[in-house]
Amino acid sequence: MENREKSAHYDVAVVGAGCAGPAAALQAASMGLRTILLEKAAIPGEKNVSGTCLNTAALSDPDLHYLLDGPVEREIRSMKTYHITEGRTTVFHEIPSTGILLLSIRRDRFDAWHTERARKAGAEVRAVRGVVTDKGERILSRVVIDGGGVNSIVGRKAGLIPRRSGTRMILYVTAAVRLGKKKIDERFGNTIEYYLAPGCQYKTWPWIFPKRDVVTLGTGGYMTPELFDDGHPHLVSYMERFMDLLPVRERIYDGKIEAWGLHLEFDDQLPKHAKDGLILAGEAGGFVAPFLGEGMPEAFFTGIYAARAAAAGIKAGDLSAAFLEGALAAALDENLFLKSFMYVAQKNKESILAKPDPEIAEMMQSVVMGGGFITNVVHTDWMSAAETGDVEKAREAKDFLEFLQPYRNIGSDFEAVYAARKKK
Amino acid sequence: MKSGVRLKYRPGDPGDFLRVDAAKCNACGECARFCPRGVWKKDADVYRPAAPGLCAECGACWNVCPADAVIMDEPRGGTGVRFSLG
Repeated sequence: MENREKSAHYDVAVVGAGCAGPAAALQAASMGLRTILLEKAAIPGEKNVSGTCLNTAALSDPDLHYLLDGPVEREIRSMKTYHITEGRTTVFHEIPSTGILLLSIRRDRFDAWHTERARKAGAEVRAVRGVVTDKGERILSRVVIDGGGVNSIVGRKAGLIPRRSGTRMILYVTAAVRLGKKKIDERFGNTIEYYLAPGCQYKTWPWIFPKRDVVTLGTGGYMTPELFDDGHPHLVSYMERFMDLLPVRERIYDGKIEAWGLHLEFDDQLPKHAKDGLILAGEAGGFVAPFLGEGMPEAFFTGIYAARAAAAGIKAGDLSAAFLEGALAAALDENLFLKSFMYVAQKNKESILAKPDPEIAEMMQSVVMGGGFITNVVHTDWMSAAETGDVEKAREAKDFLEFLQPYRNIGSDFEAVYAARKKK
Repeated sequence: MKSGVRLKYRPGDPGDFLRVDAAKCNACGECARFCPRGVWKKDADVYRPAAPGLCAECGACWNVCPADAVIMDEPRGGTGVRFSLG
């Protein structure tokens, strides 16, 4: 350890230029730390298949405002949810009176931009060919931040990332359909769509996200034996059925499938995110909420917090697992966005796993206060409280609804910040 | 319909990044069952990555193997599967 300290070329080495990596490198370099960012893909972002819409509730955090300068494909201003059962289809169309809900992006362009931003802030960016860099060197640093994704080899070799399947892991298939800007403007406009339909998913929510001239579709399921039954010999059959739904057919008609993707998302918490001199950020650290389609803000935040934890550890002369984990946990604890999203995701996962899909669709159709994930949590808590006469639980549901109100009203503020940055 | 999914790859040799530890493999076939790309095939008493060129690098096989017999490293830098849109 002492030798390593003495011969360290860098204060911080960041592995992976996805979402967490460039955020960590940018933060570390901005704090004056000697920083290197390592990436193995030919273009940063092209090893990613997920993460396509940035949640503006998260981007309202000043820590993430700089991301608004990045390349955006489409400003998403409304969301449709299709709940399809044998009997009927209900469509819930949520349109905030003001504001942008999400920024639709392409990961290859966005991650490349983000990496360049980290480089401009002073981080060295290096392509990696294997366990050594393309120049055959050995990189030594005082702290390693692992932003290497769900199956990161760094976290696995450190023993922090175990094998995970069953209801802890979701397997997704995605497809990109080229329609051209005009057709997407007509058929989707600035709306993203979620679906819940017979035989089109296993405990997940298929989606369609419009980009500038392409839409991406995705579906999948938890990695339990039930994922494959007589109707679904293979993951791709979920996508085929999804594409065959009438409302989906109408939307992707005349389009051309130009790309496919396959990926895993972890849907649980890792017990530990640090070892001596190592911090896991983003998906490597399990910081993702696949149920809500959330992963990028979690990665940006934890990348930034990991860099700050590294800086604090270097300053304190303490790079132990306990110190780094503590610094990361303290920062996470103050982030209300992350905490509330984790709560909503966990509650929804519980209700989804407890019921068969047709019942879930019916339940969502009859959620009287709306059809969104957040209202589902509040409604479910509320109804169970009413059934059991549990006043305390009903109060908790009401408190949670009130707690979330600031996030429902972020629109106008965010719009102003966004417009100001775009003007620059 | 496995052949219906076409992925894009960077040219170049990705290296021997996906292997089986034949001593640990119990031939349960979970790797082949969860692999969305048909990479794993039974060969006598063990499953082997018979078509690594089709691998999407998703890691389903490594995660699902109950015997810890899947050895999944990284493809060589600048090679392997590529995505763009997310």
